[in-house]
Amino acid sequence: MVENVTLTEVERQLGELRAASSAPGELPRLRTSVLTHMAWVPERWVEAATETLAGLAERHPSRTILLFPRPNDDRDALDAEVDLRCFLRGGEEREVCSEVISIRLCGKRASAPASVVQPLLVPDLPVFLRWRGQCPWGAAELEELVEVTDRMIVDSGEWPDAEWAYSRLAEILDRVVVSDIAWARTEPWRRAVAALWPNVAGAEEIRVAGPQAEAALLARWLGTRLDRDVELRHEAAGEIELVEIDGRQVKPERRDRTTSSDLLSDQLEIFERDRPYEEVVRSFSSAAT
Amino acid sequence: MTQAPAAPQENPLLVGLRKRRQAEPCAITIFGASGDLTQRKLIPALYSLAFRNLLPENFGIVGVARTEMSDEAWRGKMQEAVKEHGRDEFRQDVWDDLAEGMRYVATDFADDGGEEHVVRCLNALDEDRGTAGNRVYYLAVPPAAIETIIVAMGKRRSAEGWTRLIVEKPFGHDLESAQHLNTIIREYFDEAEIFRIDHYLGKETVQNMLVLRFANGIFEPIWNRQFIDHVQITVAEQLGIEGRADFYEKAGAVRDIVQNHMLQLAALTAMEPPIDFTADSVRNEKVKVLKAIHTPGPKHVVRGQYGPGYIEGEEVPGYREEERVAPDSLTETYVAAKLFVDNWRWADTPFYVRTGKRLPRRETTIAIQFKRAPHPPFELDTEEGLRPNVLLIHVQPDEGVSLAVGAKVPGQGMTIRTVHMDFLYGGAFRTGLPEAYERLILDCLLGDATLFTRADEVEEQWAIVDAMVAPWKRDRPSFPNYAAGTWGPAAADELLHRDGRSWRRH
Repeated sequence: MVENVTLTEVERQLGELRAASSAPGELPRLRTSVLTHMAWVPERWVEAATETLAGLAERHPSRTILLFPRPNDDRDALDAEVDLRCFLRGGEEREVCSEVISIRLCGKRASAPASVVQPLLVPDLPVFLRWRGQCPWGAAELEELVEVTDRMIVDSGEWPDAEWAYSRLAEILDRVVVSDIAWARTEPWRRAVAALWPNVAGAEEIRVAGPQAEAALLARWLGTRLDRDVELRHEAAGEIELVEIDGRQVKPERRDRTTSSDLLSDQLEIFERDRPYEEVVRSFSSAAT
Repeated sequence: MTQAPAAPQENPLLVGLRKRRQAEPCAITIFGASGDLTQRKLIPALYSLAFRNLLPENFGIVGVARTEMSDEAWRGKMQEAVKEHGRDEFRQDVWDDLAEGMRYVATDFADDGGEEHVVRCLNALDEDRGTAGNRVYYLAVPPAAIETIIVAMGKRRSAEGWTRLIVEKPFGHDLESAQHLNTIIREYFDEAEIFRIDHYLGKETVQNMLVLRFANGIFEPIWNRQFIDHVQITVAEQLGIEGRADFYEKAGAVRDIVQNHMLQLAALTAMEPPIDFTADSVRNEKVKVLKAIHTPGPKHVVRGQYGPGYIEGEEVPGYREEERVAPDSLTETYVAAKLFVDNWRWADTPFYVRTGKRLPRRETTIAIQFKRAPHPPFELDTEEGLRPNVLLIHVQPDEGVSLAVGAKVPGQGMTIRTVHMDFLYGGAFRTGLPEAYERLILDCLLGDATLFTRADEVEEQWAIVDAMVAPWKRDRPSFPNYAAGTWGPAAADELLHRDGRSWRRH
């Protein structure tokens, strides 16, 4: 990563990389973008984020801006690295390239990220923000990035106290559309429960063996959809292993294991608001008051 | 007062869950199960649907052909076909699930009662697999066998469930035979149950033509004679007839490509916006525009046949030297035509279409060439590199859309060059493009006929083709008239040169 750079230098580097990417006489490589994908990656999430990003460029050609906040750094500076990831699709003659811009925001720069990313957003295309880990509710960096984002993607499974965090998340739902990867993981189970309708219309209890966030989401979903109180019996597990409604076991369709890249990739394809999810999130907020 | 019964409450748990395209339980019967199409396309397509969990849980496949074979042997053969031709990785668990519902019936429909074996097998599948009497009959057989199967199976329709019929092209060999076939089919099946397949309509880029035109506000206002100079549609094949002499000698390029694929592409390019995307709305508009296509006179149609030549540096034989082709064959392997669409939108705007075998490269494109800027304020020599704006729709390969625009060459002077702005389908979307047959088979299982050809549509297509070939009965062309590896006969170039235009070069 080059230290102490300006955004003009970052853009110049991008242009140089693009120009150098095809040899004279070859078909030019294509730069295709369907969105700008930003990711806010605090230090402890760097490894997981890098793993998730592998292969994502091929599925979603986009400009990716990775923001690594280092608020405790002594310097107030930006360090950056620009990379062009090119791939050849089967049967096609030309390579398609996506740009990945990694920026370390050092010192005070970490609290004003919007001014850093705005010049780099691809015009007229949607902006997705993947926020790794717990969101710093109310903090300037979150508030700023929400303002320039069309869709924020979180994984409430990464939050230490998800139920409390949902009530804070509810506060920003009017300003940005939110996708939750933990909610996406419950989808096959929700579909399986829906298939039991109308026999579950009077459900009183849901038993979930799985992560806390997903169990809470499932229980609130069932309650809000049926407009009744549904009690949650939760047993901790690494992933959802069992769901029972009033003692009746729910069996989801056979589903292949999905990687974190698959889950994020799916979210990057969704543009509309997920009203049932928003209702679930808001229900935590109203329960708290 | 009696109260009306309460309407069943809608399932609130489904709100927000994406709707799935999930078909009802059914069995698909493939007539021609030992054939090339079944192995290369149909079974691999069914495997891909199974791979993506898009087939119903209660599903069965019955293969029907004359070749004696056991269920096990057929499954083994089809497994190899999936491994060789499938687009997805081979997964034993997916295949085992699919193969469990696969049966094979060796029978000859020419023998009276041959269909009994098929019906018995389907009834047994209903019992074993819960396919509920729902049937899809896929006729992947030569045209001569179609009528016999339709009559035999039409007489033995299942008393329960629904029945749908997929008929492969060519649907007849002229207007009269197509009308006859339509009459026979309709004795036993309703139009809503008939799915005449043209696999071009299952291609993503062909469907994207409708999206490009009707989902983007910028194109439709200029999609007419005022702004468009002409349209060129090219369906070029590098391959020869690949051992299909028996079929090709009778069909030729006009029946193999023009009657179906080419006229479909022309109809999608020229049609008016449908009021919605239902099967009948889309097909009504296609029929309207096919009716408006002016019958081309003999001067507006060029036919050709390839002689020996070179493809990718390799010497290839001429058509008449191909196996089982008559040494004096007059079958055309190339057709070019100038079509006019006689309606308000397109009056006097030519649609130049061409298709041929053994052309320099494989490509299917629709090129919309716009009129030049009325008064470019630049000196003449600055515009030498400037060609008209062309919107090019790549149907295959390199699926996508490109727009040729004029741009200033960087530097002190004012030189203008044409540059291409490309949208490459595979570059912008995550998933690999599904095979056309996957889409079409699934649509049929779901009962959606939007991408299939209706009776009146196929008859309009034949009426155009009959008019094109009528003068051919009277003259004897000098074949071969183009070398393999070239862009067709000189007369095809003249067809455009007469209008001061030329075919796009690549």
